[in-house]
Amino acid sequence: MHAARAEIVGNVWRLVAKEGDLVDTGDVVAVLETMKMEIPVHAGGPGTVRLRVREGEIVQEGDVIADIG
Amino acid sequence: MTTINTETATSDHRARLARRRQERFRRVEPRGRREYTARERAEMLVDAGSFVEMSPMRVDSDGKGAGVVIGWGRVDGRGVVIASHDAAVASGAIGAVFAETVQKAQRFAIDKGYPIVYINDSGGARIHDGIHALHGCGGIFALNVKAQRRVPQISLILGPCAGAAAYSPALTDWTIMVREQGQMFLTGPDIVKATTGEDATSEDIGGSQMHTEVSGVAHLEVTNESEAFHATRLLLSYLPSRADGPMPVVAPRRPSPVAAERLPYVVPDRASVVFDMREVIDGVLDAGPRLELMPAHAPSVLTLFGHLDGRPVGVLANQPASRGGVLDAKSSVKAARFIEFCGRFGLPVVTFVDVPGFLPGTVEESRGVITHGAKLLKAYVETTSPLLTVVVRKAYGGAYIAMGSRSLGADYSWAWSGAEIAVMGPGGAVALLHRRALRDADDPEALRDELAAEYRENVARPYVAAEAGVIDDVILPEETRDRLIDALATLGHEGGTDARR
Repeated sequence: MHAARAEIVGNVWRLVAKEGDLVDTGDVVAVLETMKMEIPVHAGGPGTVRLRVREGEIVQEGDVIADIG
Repeated sequence: MTTINTETATSDHRARLARRRQERFRRVEPRGRREYTARERAEMLVDAGSFVEMSPMRVDSDGKGAGVVIGWGRVDGRGVVIASHDAAVASGAIGAVFAETVQKAQRFAIDKGYPIVYINDSGGARIHDGIHALHGCGGIFALNVKAQRRVPQISLILGPCAGAAAYSPALTDWTIMVREQGQMFLTGPDIVKATTGEDATSEDIGGSQMHTEVSGVAHLEVTNESEAFHATRLLLSYLPSRADGPMPVVAPRRPSPVAAERLPYVVPDRASVVFDMREVIDGVLDAGPRLELMPAHAPSVLTLFGHLDGRPVGVLANQPASRGGVLDAKSSVKAARFIEFCGRFGLPVVTFVDVPGFLPGTVEESRGVITHGAKLLKAYVETTSPLLTVVVRKAYGGAYIAMGSRSLGADYSWAWSGAEIAVMGPGGAVALLHRRALRDADDPEALRDELAAEYRENVARPYVAAEAGVIDDVILPEETRDRLIDALATLGHEGGTDARR
């Protein structure tokens, strides 16, 4: 099981991957908005996406955006 | 008869010295993951055949060696002093004689103006030597601090370095660790278990990954001893031998044509989209090797050495590709330390700016972002080496000031034509300045966009900053390299009466 984690505090601006999507290591799963910047959230490994957040939600540094397994 | 006696005596002397040397230089097979002995490490670090040991016959009271090999050699033809812990003698523990020997190397380096490399592989103070060991360790630390103003100090961590053996590297400029071989901690697993109840391995407490990513105690992680020596030689290649020494200038190399052609297109049109600042650096600096320090720690700023027209320079840059390039407590400390180092050794600092600001929030404030951010301001103000700043995209608020602004003493500051420099970004500024209008508007979103665009054009464009004199000029990306090289040439002129220098 891998995870896609927020590298910085921010709000979930856009979920790029959908529930159940197959992704590869490094694929962009979501985009956060922090200080007017679009911060991509990358998949930590290959697998199927299980989203853990909704668009508009505030996440903290290190929070899991999606489990990937 | 007299002649024969002399000959006998001479051959006796020779045989005795040969025997002594054989005993002293006997190779003791290194234990654990170690690849080489203390003397082999020193020999490998310097140019082939150039290592000369100082006081090789020195012994401790137990009849064994001092526990540390000191000496000097050359790296790319330039003198370097080395102190290499010998883990084969009492696990490299620092006794009174050991400490006295290291201090001899330190004094030589300070007095003669040579960089010193510490090859650390020591379990800490030698318990049998009691208070004498502690006194010796303190003496090493004091000379570490004294050397800071005089010569570069580099620490390699090639084994478990505990207690006193971990403090000395922290007082030096740059620390390089070998993965799964070097560790640094004040107290090892047993004491940690007894005190905090943690079941932690020495890798958990002080491994290279932890120290180069999380704590920032070490600045470079390598995979084996040979790589550590290579990295040390590369690092030394950018540095003068002493604080007032001449810079090691190399043959200039233009940037790779691919990187140079790409330069005007690296920064995305939309200010919110991230990009890799390394592409900007590649398009401006000389082609050839760079050395990035602390690549995995606080990666929203980049700190690296490279060349500009053959001259070594330190580069500090925001890295939008990591955490948007923000400044926070950790990245401020990383940046400040780098600039302070460059200042001490006269290295020009080139700052590339694209910063959204200091990261807000209770987490950062409680980490002391104010104090740490202030270190960055102080480092720029105190640095007397040439400071050249290029705003490639955004520079807002306090972060604009902190990233090498004219007000902090930059010799030259330029902005690319698409840059934005302002007290705050368009979004925040419009919300503040037009609160009432936005509240009463039929379509607040449309009005906000309109006002933001107006603000961007009328307030934030770099021409406003250039007209006000807070930046020197507005330039195109492809003009950057020539401007920097020309500036370095004028700043290197000896005739000035600049009070800062």
